[in-house]
Amino acid sequence: MRPPAVLIVCLLAASSLQACGRENAYSTSSSTLVVAINSDPGALNPAVTTSGGTHPVTDQMFNGLVGLDENLNPVPELAESWTTEDEGRTYRFVLRRGVTWHDGTPFTSADVKFTFEQALLKYHSRTRAALEPLVLGIDTPDDHTVVFRLKHQYSALLQRLDVVEASIIPEHRFAGQDLMKTPGPPQPIGTGPFRFVSYAPGDKVVLERNREYFRPGLPGVDRLIFRILPEPGTAIAALERGEIDYAGSVAGPDIGRLRATAGIAVVPGTGGSGGSVCQDVLIPNTTKAPFNDIRVRRAFAHAIDRQVIVDRVYFGQGRPATGPISHLLAWAYTSDVRQYPHDTAVAGRLLDEAGLRAGASGERLAVTFTHAQTQQRLAMALRDQLKAAGITLNLRTMDFNSQVDQVFVKKTFDLGMASFCNGADPEIGVRRVYVSSNIGPFPFSNGAGYRNPRIDALFDQGAASADRAQRRLAYVEIQQILAEEVPYFWLIDSEGLRAYRTAFTGFRLWTGAFAETVRKVQ
Amino acid sequence: MTLAGWAVRRLLLALPVVLAITTLTFALIHLAPGDPVYLLAGDGGSPAYYADMRVKFGLDRPIGEQFLRYAAAAATGDFGYSFTYQSPVTRVIAQHAPASILLGFAALILSIAGGVALAFVVTLWPSRVLETSIRVVSAAMYSAPVFWTGQILIIVVAVKLGFLPVGGMTTARETLAGAGLGLDVLKHLILPAVTLALPFMAVVARVTRASLRDAVREPFVQAAKARGLSHRQVVIRQAAPHAAVALTTLVGQHAPQIVAGAAITEYLFAWPGIGAVILHASLHRDYPLVTSSFLIISTAVVCSNALSDAVCAWLDPRIRLS
Repeated sequence: MRPPAVLIVCLLAASSLQACGRENAYSTSSSTLVVAINSDPGALNPAVTTSGGTHPVTDQMFNGLVGLDENLNPVPELAESWTTEDEGRTYRFVLRRGVTWHDGTPFTSADVKFTFEQALLKYHSRTRAALEPLVLGIDTPDDHTVVFRLKHQYSALLQRLDVVEASIIPEHRFAGQDLMKTPGPPQPIGTGPFRFVSYAPGDKVVLERNREYFRPGLPGVDRLIFRILPEPGTAIAALERGEIDYAGSVAGPDIGRLRATAGIAVVPGTGGSGGSVCQDVLIPNTTKAPFNDIRVRRAFAHAIDRQVIVDRVYFGQGRPATGPISHLLAWAYTSDVRQYPHDTAVAGRLLDEAGLRAGASGERLAVTFTHAQTQQRLAMALRDQLKAAGITLNLRTMDFNSQVDQVFVKKTFDLGMASFCNGADPEIGVRRVYVSSNIGPFPFSNGAGYRNPRIDALFDQGAASADRAQRRLAYVEIQQILAEEVPYFWLIDSEGLRAYRTAFTGFRLWTGAFAETVRKVQ
Repeated sequence: MTLAGWAVRRLLLALPVVLAITTLTFALIHLAPGDPVYLLAGDGGSPAYYADMRVKFGLDRPIGEQFLRYAAAAATGDFGYSFTYQSPVTRVIAQHAPASILLGFAALILSIAGGVALAFVVTLWPSRVLETSIRVVSAAMYSAPVFWTGQILIIVVAVKLGFLPVGGMTTARETLAGAGLGLDVLKHLILPAVTLALPFMAVVARVTRASLRDAVREPFVQAAKARGLSHRQVVIRQAAPHAAVALTTLVGQHAPQIVAGAAITEYLFAWPGIGAVILHASLHRDYPLVTSSFLIISTAVVCSNALSDAVCAWLDPRIRLS
């Protein structure tokens, strides 16, 4: 074949491909919403896992007893209403009538009891840790009533009963199985707005509208497809090209370009299936020098310029944190705490007081920062900022799980880091980081090893009352004490960006069940 | 030696290799810091819960016992239960292997076709300029990391030009079947296959070019030339079979690497293959999945090497199977 012929064939092939490509990429006329997820969802049983791979999919197929509104307050879902008795030690839930599983079987109180007793309280790590020591028993006086008997009043119970923390699964499909070791039914069924159609491992999960859904008029789209895109950059490229409609995270360098792209909206979100209201936090090892000295911790807090970090490392996805509770939990948050404005001179004075004087080279002390590869940008920014205060930061980079192992399990670190999510209530995600009872060799515990009996007592006080005004007093004092003592360096109250094609509207960006109210723009 | 006898001997020699690789993989993944129980069981759990999970998945046993249990089960075809996929390992591998094989073979064919074509062009139409430019291009193809090449292809070909899809194996929005599905998969296959093919294409081009040049200098080829065969006839009839032996050895050694070593390419293009699974499994300390994947891949490498030796012997009568 002579070269011109080869060229012609290639061009023809390319142009035909281009034609097909364009046609496929933008044919959004049927209301199909395509969402990027970053890993395989596994066995699609939400009641035995907290996996950030499973829940984005299952949260659209299942329901909790309650939902969460925009302010993370409980609203009716599978439970139509609830009352408390016996000074908050008994919760009586009245279940919605006429709800059916996707296979047509009626949903009853037996499903709720089964789910809690056989799945959630055994295998869902967070729900088991919080509720197993608390729940005395679950009774089902009739098909539409569930009664939770608690050991004591617990203010955050309802916030723990949403689809992320406590998805209800069908007893008739799971009874008698080892829920952790069986892949589950080939066709997972829930009560939720979308029902399962197919799953091609590594490629996509297809769901369709549940026409029998108990909320009339919902969901707003006919089909919901999860495209598995492990590489974040590829997910954004797929969004730009119209292969997907929604991406749950946007990497910093892509923000500007996406904002400038017609037909794509970039908006902050505060929650989702992986946790809500999160903060990125540096963890000093307060059990040994130099961080066992409060003056050194305060010097670090002054030496770190959080605004620069928020702007340059996080590309503005959040705002500088002032303490252990994010400003997004507005009812519990206070900014009336000791502040640490960026000031290397103050940092220097504090280090002088701690006996860490500058040597000939200007170095006062050296600490090692144990961090994951994904935090390299942060590590470099911190190294530069701390250097100005005479602190040498040695960087120890490793993969995410090794870092978690070093910091939380083996505790062989000076300075570590984690993203801690407050959750829908300070009792859910704040308490575990600061109470002394949660110092232990397991991930996302009190990694700093901080102990303060007053803090322990205040958290108990915050959990024991149902009155938010009352509870706020406890949380304000907690924030004030912790800001004085800086057992952690709070960097940012995260507001990670989501991006979606503006052909759609109605995303609920504070909860795992984000897709129920999405609809096509007419 | 008969072919059957040779095959049995190769198999016996392969066993210790596969066993050694499996042991090493098992040891390395267990020595890597990070406890799978936290990934398996989720975050924020109580110590009692993590202890329960360790017992449930046998992670509480000494590592030696864990290995023996694994090996005994694997010998009966039970490769364990994947923590991250919540599914038997054999099922995970069976679900993802076809995509890897498709991508690997497409890349292999592309790289052989492209590399051989380049080598023949240079040999048939010798020119200093052509030789140098192909040398430079193949050096670039070989040294450019697939992650970089892949991203450039995604940005230019998929996003800017809109010729081909960005990632995945099928169009997410559509449910296709039959020929439509085949064409759809083909469109999704092109970019990852090209990305994966480029480095090996460069190797094929260099090796084929070198062996063609050597062959052309051989006395039997010079003799053919002296008898009046044209340069083109000499290259195609005399030198090409000579180069085929080198190429077969090369492909035999590299084919399993291409099929199994596509992790980065698969990850980047969201291609649902086994490479991306192994990458995910390693990062999540999914012991059974990682160990079993390496067990299966090392077996494939050994078989592929044996196959290429057999083909070489068939191509070149001077090579004996012994």
